[in-house]
Amino acid sequence: MTRDLARESDAARSDVARSDPARSDAAANPPDLVAAAPAAVRLPVGPSVLGLWPIVLGAVVFVVAWKLVVVIGGLPPFILPPPETVAARFVTAWTDGTIPPHAATTIGEVVLGFAVGAGSGLMVGYGLARSRLIERLVSPYIVAAQAVPILALAPLLALWFGPGLLAKVIICGLIVFFPVAIATMVGIRSTDGGLLELGRSLRANRRQVLVTLEIPAALPSILGGLRVGVTLAVVGAIVGEWAGADRGLGVLVNLARGSLFDIPLLFATLVTIALLGIGLYLLVVLAERRLVGLR
Amino acid sequence: MPRSRFTAARLSAFGLAVVLLIAACGTTAVTPAARTKLTVGLGYIPSVQFAAFYRADQAGYYTAEGLDVTFQNDIDANLVPKVGAGNVDLGLSDGTSVIPAVSQGIPIRYVATIYAKFPSIVFAKATSGIATAADLKGRKIGIPAKSGSSWIMLQALLGSANLTVDDVTIVEYPDFGQAAAVSQGAVDAATGFDNNEPVQLETSGQKVTVLRVDQITPLPGPGIIAATTTISAKKAAVAGFVRATIKAMNEIAATPSIGVDAAVKAVPDLAKDKDLQLAILTATIADWRRSTEAAGAPISGAIDQPGWQASLEFMTKLGLVPKPVTVGDLVDPSFTAGS
Repeated sequence: MTRDLARESDAARSDVARSDPARSDAAANPPDLVAAAPAAVRLPVGPSVLGLWPIVLGAVVFVVAWKLVVVIGGLPPFILPPPETVAARFVTAWTDGTIPPHAATTIGEVVLGFAVGAGSGLMVGYGLARSRLIERLVSPYIVAAQAVPILALAPLLALWFGPGLLAKVIICGLIVFFPVAIATMVGIRSTDGGLLELGRSLRANRRQVLVTLEIPAALPSILGGLRVGVTLAVVGAIVGEWAGADRGLGVLVNLARGSLFDIPLLFATLVTIALLGIGLYLLVVLAERRLVGLR
Repeated sequence: MPRSRFTAARLSAFGLAVVLLIAACGTTAVTPAARTKLTVGLGYIPSVQFAAFYRADQAGYYTAEGLDVTFQNDIDANLVPKVGAGNVDLGLSDGTSVIPAVSQGIPIRYVATIYAKFPSIVFAKATSGIATAADLKGRKIGIPAKSGSSWIMLQALLGSANLTVDDVTIVEYPDFGQAAAVSQGAVDAATGFDNNEPVQLETSGQKVTVLRVDQITPLPGPGIIAATTTISAKKAAVAGFVRATIKAMNEIAATPSIGVDAAVKAVPDLAKDKDLQLAILTATIADWRRSTEAAGAPISGAIDQPGWQASLEFMTKLGLVPKPVTVGDLVDPSFTAGS
């Protein structure tokens, strides 16, 4: 099936070349624009240079603004600690073993919850895309589940499934499910109708249509949904820990705030949570670049 | 107009003005504009446990001290920084929150004791076989979270029997459902407050055993806190608030029904079960006096400084006092007699 489609594409390109010789020449011998450009304007383009400057500049602006707010506002450390105090507390909390066990617990919950939520979201999203009956049956419940605040659901889930890992994975999975399911549905539906017809005419089976046409077409949308889902998974893990846990970054937030009154530790934990979300987001972006290419 | 009637009208108006002037001079009431405004943070939700504050407000004791008081509700974790920042003038906060808060640089002081007995306890059904701290070994104990005053109290209680939290199984109930858990047998015992969960269980016909920490480690119970800046800027107002509150506490201790009525007036929903509210208030009143004080002894709000010293040493051992502090950094005894 794949070979037939490739042959068909080549045949189509040949037809275009035969009908327009100029396009044929250009297609056969594309000019070397890079070599033709003057050396002085040939800049070393690439993510390693262009991608870093805005990030570093943004971080510097953020930290300077934070410091200015503290200094100009005269804010005491227990209201808003200055960035250098948070940085120092971040380092000590990691090196003295305060944060690592909590971070490990939360990462485990996020990974498992994301796997469950994304996996089920992909399957349901496909069903929603390909079956109007399923869409009409299931959509209202999916939307309703999304509309109910997870903060209200989490204590119930902890009550039903206990204070262990299972409740956290379910809470994470629930929060990840919706964006992935919708992105999958939209992506699958965006598959070119002409290509689908071509596939049917070539007597492609369901699996072949899915693997060679629908998934490639839907991949950008699905990966967009996964970007959103993976950051929401961190939120879900924290909310799940607030509903009942004895370890995790959410627990550490509550300990730092309500028991220890250690506000720099609170901020250090929030920084850790933010870095976790950013790190996971970048992993999905890397996967997207591998599968879809640079966008 | 005839001259006689005009003169009579002028005289009447003058007379009326004189009467009004005398009346104005004679009044001793302070006009609202002259009263000092105070925002006061009470506990998590409105409750009969705050009856003394409601009574002092409704009976005009705060007004008589030149105060215009408004209440709000919040948990310690939020209230302590708010008081420290001066966003709330006074708060009702646990002494076990004051110690780590001051150690972390939050500029507050504990100025009056409301709960002279530490209200956090461990309770179990009388049929559980749990009568002492040593009986907790190997048992399941319910707790809202492994933090806060309940957690500190539990460690002190277990320590008195040479036990640690590793010798028991902790089950967390972040929705504060420990009473139901004990009632249904999901756990053998649980932490709670002596004026809440045990009262609920006893009211429903279940006999309860209560284990207290007062004789082991005299942890400081909830009391009135204020920022050091508030104490400097509004010292007279803080003193007046303490005086008026203690007056209401003594009044309610003598006649608890006054407290229930005040609480119902402030929180109408409490009227649904006045008997339960009276039981809770009676248990609360018992906490307003130390174990060593007689039942009818006057309530003074005095601060037990030796007790605070012992608590500070205990909490330092638990690692909850990162920067050293002294009792003098924690309390201001100038507002209460006998501190």
